[in-house]
Amino acid sequence: MTLIAQYFVTGIVTGCFLILATIGFSLTRRVEGFLNIAHAEMLGVSAFIAWGLNTQAGWPFLPAAIVAIVATAFLGLFIGRLVYDPIRNLGPAVLLISSVGVAYVIGGAIDGIVGTGIRSLDIPLATTYKFLGVRITDYQMIVVGLAALTGISLALFLNKTKTGLAIRAMADNPALAASRGIDVQKTSRATWLVASGLAGLAGVMLAMIATLSTDIAFHQILQILAVAILAGLGSLYSVLLSGLIVGVAMDMSVYFIPAGYRPLIAFAVVIVVLLVRPEGLSGRSKS
Amino acid sequence: MNFEQLFLTVLTYGCLFSVMTVCLNLQYARGGMINFGTVAYFAAGAYAYAIFTQEPPKGLDQYLFGFDAPWWIGFIAAGVASLLFAIITGWPTLRLRGEYLALTTFAFAEVLHSFLLNERRIGNGSVGLSNVDRPDFSAIGLSENYGFMLSAVLLLILTSLLCRRILASPYGRAVDAVRDDEVAAEAVGKDVHRLRFEIFVISAVPIGFAGALYAMITTLVSPDLFTAEVTFFVWIALVLGGEHTIKGVILGTLALVTFEEVVRSLHFETVRAAEIAASVEYMMTGLIFVMILRWQPFTRFAKKGATP
Repeated sequence: MTLIAQYFVTGIVTGCFLILATIGFSLTRRVEGFLNIAHAEMLGVSAFIAWGLNTQAGWPFLPAAIVAIVATAFLGLFIGRLVYDPIRNLGPAVLLISSVGVAYVIGGAIDGIVGTGIRSLDIPLATTYKFLGVRITDYQMIVVGLAALTGISLALFLNKTKTGLAIRAMADNPALAASRGIDVQKTSRATWLVASGLAGLAGVMLAMIATLSTDIAFHQILQILAVAILAGLGSLYSVLLSGLIVGVAMDMSVYFIPAGYRPLIAFAVVIVVLLVRPEGLSGRSKS
Repeated sequence: MNFEQLFLTVLTYGCLFSVMTVCLNLQYARGGMINFGTVAYFAAGAYAYAIFTQEPPKGLDQYLFGFDAPWWIGFIAAGVASLLFAIITGWPTLRLRGEYLALTTFAFAEVLHSFLLNERRIGNGSVGLSNVDRPDFSAIGLSENYGFMLSAVLLLILTSLLCRRILASPYGRAVDAVRDDEVAAEAVGKDVHRLRFEIFVISAVPIGFAGALYAMITTLVSPDLFTAEVTFFVWIALVLGGEHTIKGVILGTLALVTFEEVVRSLHFETVRAAEIAASVEYMMTGLIFVMILRWQPFTRFAKKGATP
């Protein structure tokens, strides 16, 4: 029983990480209207900037993490303006395929600069706490806390701030938003900054709780897709729930089937949801 | 690496991958279906060929079946396996459109990959099946390299002829009609779902054959060879070819394979230099891809949009 509880708690942590990784992806899908496959590579960029500053340049972890997140946010904005803006009117499929190309470029750059091999940050070893027989490390608790904090602040941002409201308006109807005097370009830029910044945050978390290798981004995109599809493409609040579901389902599955099949759970989610209920948990169909 | 060797490699692999791009072209440019799981049909063919021609398991082997059949039975089995996999995956998914179809096919390919990797009873898991049986070309007086090169060329020619034949027929015009406007096609009595399904299944068969040929050439099948990178490679080649014509996609694939083989044939002093060259090749591929999509207006595609 304790073992199941342990898998459940680990699943929650995985889920919280997936929430952080997916919210930016869903935000891009909602506002820019396409699936940004390169989103996962941004996690890699941020993780390796943090790693580089932390271990190679000897910075303490916190400033390294902050620089990594900010740098990733601006890189995302730059790529968005350079690559995606000019082809936006060619339709979501072309944007989707283009983002595969972008993922190649970023992935190749990381490979070339960092090189292969397994890396980890130069931070104190995790301290393990035990509640009722279930173990959790302090870093895992940080991930859970940050996911909760991100969920709340994103809700506040989207509901209370002017930019947030503009993003929502633009997501629902770009033409109407523009005619009501919303600066579409400025809003689009804000979206890229927020979405990539969130990817940066998730990347730093990844560096903190896992070991890094250069192919890490590819494994993340599959899970991000699973979460985003289960939530319903483009919906934001359902991501919180579906991230937890996918995370718990993946980690609990280890109890029943061989661990090698753990990633399969994510794909199974993709297939089942798309075949049975393409609109996902959120229930609003966006066509 | 000498020039003859390079030429042979480029032509062999170029034609082999061209078979896939031509089929993908049929699905995408003509059928309007985005198949992001191309590698799965390729892998299905390769594994079917290997399983049918492999000797029964012995010693440390963990696979269950090995039929020790002659190569041509394996070759046919490859086509059938790919066909069956296309039916299994196509039947439920083809009512999806655009990016939704892309994601489902992608997920199916990853599921197959995961099974091949984890289920040792299919093909020894991550070790794969080695010493795959290959036809003997000495009987008709050809060296192995030339034999496989000619087989690849032949397979490509047959595939292209098949695609041309399909598309030039009234059937092909019905397919075009479905792609351009489904509602209109349905209104004049075309069974839209059936047409899409048929195109999907037919175009999977040559991909299976290509998989069998690939298994013969490498004499090894293992999950490592059949990752999503193959899918992306074929897609990049397809985009590189541009015009959505058979000639265009073949040229695109040949250009991409040449580029890769030339980079690979260069000699590097250190491992690090080779590593950097590999990543630069990667970046270049992505860059070319993005640039082509940027400056080639796919107006036809843009108006389709993505609806579930």
